[in-house]
Amino acid sequence: MEELGKIHQLIVNLSGYQMTFNLDILVMTWIVIIGLLVFGFFAARKQQMIPGTLQTIGETFVFQFYSLTEDALGEDMAKSYAPMIIALFMFVLFCNWIGFIPHLYEPTNDLNTPLSLGLMGFVIAHYAGIRQKGFKKYIKAYFDPIFFMAPLNIIGEISKVISISFRLFGNIMGGTIIVLVVSHLVFSLLLPPFLNAFFVLFIGGIQAFVFTMLTLVYIAVQVN
Amino acid sequence: MMSIDIEAWVKVAAFLGAGLSMGFGAIGAAIGEGFAAAKANNAISENPTYSGDIIKMMLVGQAIAETAAIFALVIGVLLLFAAGGNVSMITAAGLIGAGLSMGLGAIGSGVGSGFPAGEACAGLARQPALSRSLTTTMLIGSAVSQTPAIFSMVIAFMLMFINFSGGSPHMVAALLGAGLCMGFGAIGSGIGSGFPAGQACVGLARQPAMGSRLTTNMLIGAAVSQTPAIFAMVVSFMLMFVSFAGTPVHPTSAALIGAGLATGLAAIGSGVGSGLAAGAGCEGWARQPMTSGNVLVIMLVGQAVSQTPSIFGLLISFVLIFKGYAATEVFIVSTALLSAGLCTGLGGIGAGVGNGQVAESAVSWVARNVEQEAVLMRTMLVGQAVSQSTAIYAMVVSLALIFLV
Amino acid sequence: MIEGADLIQAAAFLGAGLAMGLGAIGPGVGEGMVGAKACEAIGKNPSEAGLLTRTMLVGQAVSESTGIYSLVIALLLLFVV
Repeated sequence: MEELGKIHQLIVNLSGYQMTFNLDILVMTWIVIIGLLVFGFFAARKQQMIPGTLQTIGETFVFQFYSLTEDALGEDMAKSYAPMIIALFMFVLFCNWIGFIPHLYEPTNDLNTPLSLGLMGFVIAHYAGIRQKGFKKYIKAYFDPIFFMAPLNIIGEISKVISISFRLFGNIMGGTIIVLVVSHLVFSLLLPPFLNAFFVLFIGGIQAFVFTMLTLVYIAVQVN
Repeated sequence: MMSIDIEAWVKVAAFLGAGLSMGFGAIGAAIGEGFAAAKANNAISENPTYSGDIIKMMLVGQAIAETAAIFALVIGVLLLFAAGGNVSMITAAGLIGAGLSMGLGAIGSGVGSGFPAGEACAGLARQPALSRSLTTTMLIGSAVSQTPAIFSMVIAFMLMFINFSGGSPHMVAALLGAGLCMGFGAIGSGIGSGFPAGQACVGLARQPAMGSRLTTNMLIGAAVSQTPAIFAMVVSFMLMFVSFAGTPVHPTSAALIGAGLATGLAAIGSGVGSGLAAGAGCEGWARQPMTSGNVLVIMLVGQAVSQTPSIFGLLISFVLIFKGYAATEVFIVSTALLSAGLCTGLGGIGAGVGNGQVAESAVSWVARNVEQEAVLMRTMLVGQAVSQSTAIYAMVVSLALIFLV
Repeated sequence: MIEGADLIQAAAFLGAGLAMGLGAIGPGVGEGMVGAKACEAIGKNPSEAGLLTRTMLVGQAVSESTGIYSLVIALLLLFVV
């Protein structure tokens, strides 16, 4: 149980503020990014009519999420937002699944990763809303249905960022804790691999999907 | 003042914990088994020819629904005879916490696993030939509904058998909070995972060809419904293992109990709510197999939004646990922190259930009228956003109680 | 030694939490029912989606009023009493 909460930190002094960087998470994130780049390179290298394995996997991701984006945003906007949605899903999915490889662990296990992804989605959604509706109509939406609801509407918008990032973080961290505890209780016999498969592959996959869909839905709500 | 030595307090705590564990733990299983029996009676009156099979199915289902109560019995017996090796107030708190965790945590799973048992009996009356696959689905469904009770049992074991007694005096509050958090937190998810399990049995009797795909959807829906229980488990862990040595005992202790209550209570509503959406998803898959992809998407989104109140609870718990407090002997601050936890916790119950109702209806209508998927999704999200507002008010009041007092 | 003023202040804080917490349960469930019925109605009669959404919002706003009363009482207990 000692490994809970043991992390490698880099503390940088920046004019009085102490900025703490969690090095493990940075390294893991870079592994995910490089893995995605390599996957993308090989999946798109030799495109054929009869696709190979990697190309099929890549096309499944692109096709599925393109059609989901099209359903939510319409044909025109799907062209500009689908690449972001597809990339977001693949990034979160790889982040969640990397924990299945021994000695690697999920970047999403650290609140900073989901929070920054959530903030990114928030900024993109509001940018899309302003661009689509114009600034006046965008602001007017906050005074709906009555003007004094404005502060509560703003809190509601901020709470979306909190809920989307804590949901991913809580699920991944909860899975890690459960696997760790059960491994200790049964002396690492028999059960842990199955539990690991359930929490990392199954729950990780579902949560990656939920995270992406919610980002998409938040954009759709701002746009309409 | 009575003078009671600490050894006696540990015994008192063990006995109290055993009573709490078995007392609360019996509630859910009894309701669940009653539901199964009622459905079985109904089924026999509809199709008396197969009464033997139905009774067999009922007995198997009830035996499984009883698992949660048996967990509570095990913890109760262990508390009576095996626990309490170390003599300190922290051990005593751990024993009460273990009783609360297991007792409260067994309620939801008991009720929840009654649903598949009952619906399997009803399905058997409708489709006697499906007896084997109905039994399989029921067994998987009940087992999935037991997961929150298993989380509670794990926490109860840790509270009983890990030696916390060397810790700082805050541990008394922290262990009580951990027990309350896991206990309350498992109620909603237990009941909630029962809905998809029950609807999968209904659907199987209606569309036998969908069998294995219904099981898949049931597993997805139930797994997502268990997220609130996982949040409660995370908070329980933090309460047990984060070291509070060096922080002042007085306001911190109240904050720790408040942290447990915030996530635990808020998880009740979210668990039930996401379960409602998952149940509608299973119903939709059986009713309209063609639309299963659309139903899955709206089900997952609806469930995720239903969980927002429990995430507010998680946030308040984190704030309560990690905010540093100035030492004070005045009990006003302690009251305010406890009240903050209660406020977000209770405030999340209604919003969670309400969001779940909206999602349930949207999911079942997407299955029936798939062309309107986009409109239904938008209406669902607007409806949920509005019914969440009371949970947001509760969070605002809690934050005011924490930071302005 | 607990003084009367302290006791009153503490009770006010506890009351604020309970007022908002318990007061939020009812409107949460109630607004959920309104939303559920609105989704059902739109599923049955999609051509009236706009009207139904507006009706839903009005209905929810009314059933939220008890929640807003709770919020007002909680804020009064926090900052005025």
